[in-house]
Amino acid sequence: MVKKPVPDWLNSSLWSPSPPSAVRPISSATNDAASSSESASAQPDHPPVPVPPPSAVRAESPEVEIRDPLSDDSDNGGSGSPTPTAEDISRQALILQEISRKVINMGELRRLASQGIPDGAGIRCTVWKLLLGYLPTDRGLWSSELAKKRSQYKRFKEELLMNPSQITRKLENSTSLENEESKCETGGVLSRSEITHGEHPLSLGKTSVWNQFFQDTEIIEQIDRDVKRTHPDMHFFSGDSEFAKTNQDALRNILIVFAKLNPGIRYVQGMNEILAPLFYMFKNDPIEENAAFAEADTFFCFVELLSGFRDHFCQQLDNSVVGIRSTISKLSMLLKQHDEELWRHLEVTTKVNPQFYAFRWITLLLTQEFNFADSLLIWDTLLSDPEGPQETLLRVCCAMLILTRRRLLAGDFTSNLKLLQHYPPTNISHMLYVANKLRSQPAR
Amino acid sequence: MVLVLAIGDLHIPHRAPDLPPKFKSMLVPGKIQHIICTGNLCIKEVHDYLKSLCPSLHITRGEYDEDARYPEIKTLTIGQFKLGLCHGHQVVPWGDLDSLAMLQRQLDVDILVSGHTHQFKAYKHEGGVVINPGSATGAYSSITYDVNPSFVLMDIDGLRVVVYVYELIDGEVKVDKIDFKKTATPATHSTH
Repeated sequence: MVKKPVPDWLNSSLWSPSPPSAVRPISSATNDAASSSESASAQPDHPPVPVPPPSAVRAESPEVEIRDPLSDDSDNGGSGSPTPTAEDISRQALILQEISRKVINMGELRRLASQGIPDGAGIRCTVWKLLLGYLPTDRGLWSSELAKKRSQYKRFKEELLMNPSQITRKLENSTSLENEESKCETGGVLSRSEITHGEHPLSLGKTSVWNQFFQDTEIIEQIDRDVKRTHPDMHFFSGDSEFAKTNQDALRNILIVFAKLNPGIRYVQGMNEILAPLFYMFKNDPIEENAAFAEADTFFCFVELLSGFRDHFCQQLDNSVVGIRSTISKLSMLLKQHDEELWRHLEVTTKVNPQFYAFRWITLLLTQEFNFADSLLIWDTLLSDPEGPQETLLRVCCAMLILTRRRLLAGDFTSNLKLLQHYPPTNISHMLYVANKLRSQPAR
Repeated sequence: MVLVLAIGDLHIPHRAPDLPPKFKSMLVPGKIQHIICTGNLCIKEVHDYLKSLCPSLHITRGEYDEDARYPEIKTLTIGQFKLGLCHGHQVVPWGDLDSLAMLQRQLDVDILVSGHTHQFKAYKHEGGVVINPGSATGAYSSITYDVNPSFVLMDIDGLRVVVYVYELIDGEVKVDKIDFKKTATPATHSTH
């Protein structure tokens, strides 16, 4: 194999925005069979990196039709050009090297991650945890931090997921009324006792455990419904298997704990979609220990990720400076700045109000617009950008609009809306590249 | 954690117009999983009201019930417990604990719920527990006029039952509780 230097991929014809062919074989499966590397979907995973072999990657494929987006891009070249993967290999090695340091340089890591994180070896799990601030930069502190956070989550679960019967029993045991039992052995009128703290199941008191429990059941039902509807096409999340059920239970627990800890925002439909990729990644971590604690890790990362976007979920803030409407208008302004013609055509001529399409793009962080694997790539960029995920998200949305400009300019209200609400499959790397370019230039 | 409401002897409209408002405000739909009713409602409207609180409604016939289709005796299983239901006017002497115990052994249930006396009682004997939820409206009984409105809510959780007794005394709702555990069913009933 010719060892090319890192190709000037900025100028390569690979990155022209021709839509990829829709169906790819499961690249990881062909991976092992292809010792002959003429199959263009040769994985970058074999090379001299001390990581668990593709069995880790293959573990993903029975669950999910993940098209490895990286090899997908290489296939776009059409003729099966042999080594776009060399660059992936080097990138993977660089990232691994970076996260193996004693003290990690976040700036460097961000720079590397923003180009996309390779799929193998659970690198993405660790990098995301670092980017979201869950793991500290000092590698030595990792085990203590993890232990602390994981036990904290366990305590949350114990406290918040108990039903009122158990709670009242705990309260009683502390006041030790156990000796009642022995009296009743022989029979006789059962003795009545005072209720503790005025707690009874029909209590209407605000502080009553029972009352709160019944009020929470509404939210819990909503969470239940949404969890069952998450990614119905993926075996990981949906179906009758034990595995899917445990995963659904984990999602449920995380969302319930979050709702109880955040009475201001509780649960809003859509949070399950943001949670799903995080949990998927962490559960599929090849390191056994991490996968076992995936629920706890996901909880904290979810909180961190959502903290930047919380205001989008709060209905009262809709019209405020931080609310969703203002973010959507920021997107609009960004489009106007970079492509005035398109902006005018969309907003003025065809009157496609950005709320119709951008609402879902922004609140759900683009998880619903692309397939699962692509949204992971996009999240790599979102999480790693030092500008913050919101700014990056807006740039990516703007790029999405610009890339389809020809069709949008030619369309009317109905066709434009249809196009934007069902965004066509596209070359993700090119899209991210365009989004990146929007950063540097003030105007096209 | 299963909540079971035991209620009965309302005698609406003959002896009482309605449940006390303080009771009514507490009984809202969505909280209770089962209702067992000793009888003497007496009319369909009360049946519908109870049904609106909870779809799982079990009633036995009291002597003044207008619907003749209710059974005399009913048994059901909730969680680990077997419950028996009977209005109580059939058991003579009325309210006599030994006679009720006999009925309980006949039905082979852990908890027997019966009414008719309009007096709350909770009694334990070797065969199990007898609970009388009293009259929820405070209607006068065949025996006495001095009746406090009362009903019972049972929280069945595994092998343990917490019985919450709701009584209206001097216009105020008073709640007490009774705790008892069922011993895990040994094979006492030897193979016949």
